[in-house]
Amino acid sequence: MRILLIEDDDRTAAYVMRGFDENGHQCEVLADGRDALYQATHESYDVLIVDRMLPGLDGLALVRALRAAGTMTPVLFLTAMSGLEDRVEGLDAGGDDYLAKPFAFSELLARVNALGRRPHVQVEVTKLRVHDLELDLIRRRVERKGQVIDLQPKEFKLLEYLMRNESRVVTRTMLLERVWGFNFDPKTSVVDTHISRLRAKIDKPFGIPLLHTVRNTGYSLHAPS
Amino acid sequence: MHPLRLFRSTPFRLALAFALLFVCAFLLSGFVTFNLIKKELEARYDSQTKELFQVISQTYGDSDIQDVIDATRMHIAATSNMRNIFLLQSANGAILAANIPALSVPDGWSIRQGADFGIRVGFAYRIYAGSVGPDRLIVGTNNEETNELQEIVVASFGWALLVVIALAIGAGALIASRAQRRLDAVRDTMGRVSHGELAARIPLLGKGDDLDLLSLDINVALERLSLAVESMRQVSTDIAHDLKTPLNHLRMTLEDAGLKQARGEPVGLELELAMTEAGQIDETFEALLRIAQIESGARKSGFCLIELSDVLPSLVDVYREVAEDSDQKFFFNSEVGESTFVSGDRELLTQMYSNLIENSIRHAGAGAGIRLSLFVQGDSVHTSLEDSGPGIPKDEHTNVFRRLYRLEKSRTTPGTGLGLSLVKAIADLHGAAIWLEDAAPGLRVVLAYPRAGK
Repeated sequence: MRILLIEDDDRTAAYVMRGFDENGHQCEVLADGRDALYQATHESYDVLIVDRMLPGLDGLALVRALRAAGTMTPVLFLTAMSGLEDRVEGLDAGGDDYLAKPFAFSELLARVNALGRRPHVQVEVTKLRVHDLELDLIRRRVERKGQVIDLQPKEFKLLEYLMRNESRVVTRTMLLERVWGFNFDPKTSVVDTHISRLRAKIDKPFGIPLLHTVRNTGYSLHAPS
Repeated sequence: MHPLRLFRSTPFRLALAFALLFVCAFLLSGFVTFNLIKKELEARYDSQTKELFQVISQTYGDSDIQDVIDATRMHIAATSNMRNIFLLQSANGAILAANIPALSVPDGWSIRQGADFGIRVGFAYRIYAGSVGPDRLIVGTNNEETNELQEIVVASFGWALLVVIALAIGAGALIASRAQRRLDAVRDTMGRVSHGELAARIPLLGKGDDLDLLSLDINVALERLSLAVESMRQVSTDIAHDLKTPLNHLRMTLEDAGLKQARGEPVGLELELAMTEAGQIDETFEALLRIAQIESGARKSGFCLIELSDVLPSLVDVYREVAEDSDQKFFFNSEVGESTFVSGDRELLTQMYSNLIENSIRHAGAGAGIRLSLFVQGDSVHTSLEDSGPGIPKDEHTNVFRRLYRLEKSRTTPGTGLGLSLVKAIADLHGAAIWLEDAAPGLRVVLAYPRAGK
């Protein structure tokens, strides 16, 4: 993936760049908002990572300008402004995701992966399939190897999100945001509890596990390799 | 008080302005009165002069001038001190009777100075002249009495004016200095406050006047300010203390890692520990920021009607299984036939209940039951969360809402000591009362919201 990072803190920029480099992505860095606006409208990127507080042109204004100019490249705000309002502001300005500093690189990577491979035009699907696991969005039914699996509503939503992000790592916070609508970190193992229940239903009876734990990061649903 | 400062003081300036205004009004009314009196006196003397002229001229009958001459002489004899002047002249200019030398004046009214005919220097005479048969009669009256009266009026006005000015300035200065003393007390207090003496208050006279009310308002504001400053000081001290410990741990962990590295041993474990410790510090800051944001009240603008009987079941869904995993049972009781609308923010309410439920799950212990209930009581919507855990000692029931406050026994378990402060901040934002009760055994957290429309 080709990523443009707009960040004026050298240490953060170097840390993020090295991380993407090690994961086989191409990452360029700009420190000034105005330069970034020029670059992002004249070159093609898969994802933009934008700091909120920038010299030249602040992050919010940058993204508004980009959207006004018709550039629809997915934007992830990466910022120390982690307040309730800040987040809403960022998403309203045209951001697609929001990650507060300090952050773990694995979290950033998972989110950038999810953003970058998001199909630009959402194709309406009614059925999701991973290996021999099938989820019918209209009949709200889950089957594996032809066997119907009974899921609680939250478990269904969780599985749907995991299947839509097949083979990608999704972090605990991503799940909390998208499945539970929690923009805060609960102290108990809400996610782990539900994952283990889900696993007991979709994996255990069938021998071959599809739902995998990614250590220190999150989970990934994919067919056996 | 220093004279210059007295002059600068608002009350004194006000008093002075009023004194000036009063003096002006006094002068104006004096001028008007004086002129009225003068006019009235002149009119009266004119009519007396005319009357004299007529009385004398009426004695002229049958072309006999002798009676007129006699009448004139009689009046001359009766007048004293040259108050009136008389002059009766024949057609050829011969003086028939007079108490002044010959004088030529036109017919009708005219004014002559006494000096013109060599008498009573300094007085003016108003003179009436006319014909009596072939002869000519002149009668005049001097203005001595008018002048005297005018002098009396002017003198009394002058003295009164002096008294008025003296009184106005004196009373003004007195009132001003009293008001000034009270204003000085306010200034003095504010000066002391700005120098850090936050306990200083303006002394009140108890008169209930505007200065007292103002002072009272300032005192109330100072009270709030000093409380806010005190709690801020408390919080910053607490934060400093509370963060020193995890920072110290982090430092020790990193030192350990350094030593191990020097010995060529792997340091993965230490680094992971350091990450966790840094994460905890971040968490504390995050929670503090969040509380501050909620307390700022900005979020209130996004409030809408929220049905609690709608919010709570979804939380129960989330946590029922978590509780089961901790070997606990989670129940939900909703005994409402009525609406349970409150004005609020769904995200914040969700976070608040999550915090409370997680507290119960973490502290109630295995085998405990947790019960969330929703009920309506009069004009308020109540929720209560009850667990059968060890509870919290009664004398700690209010302390636990304090920032960074942690019970002795939970000092060693993870947690920021901010969870209940956050809960309290959210409850306050929603205008909800929150309190703890002894559930015997266990703890009950009760929230009472004002019920909103619909």
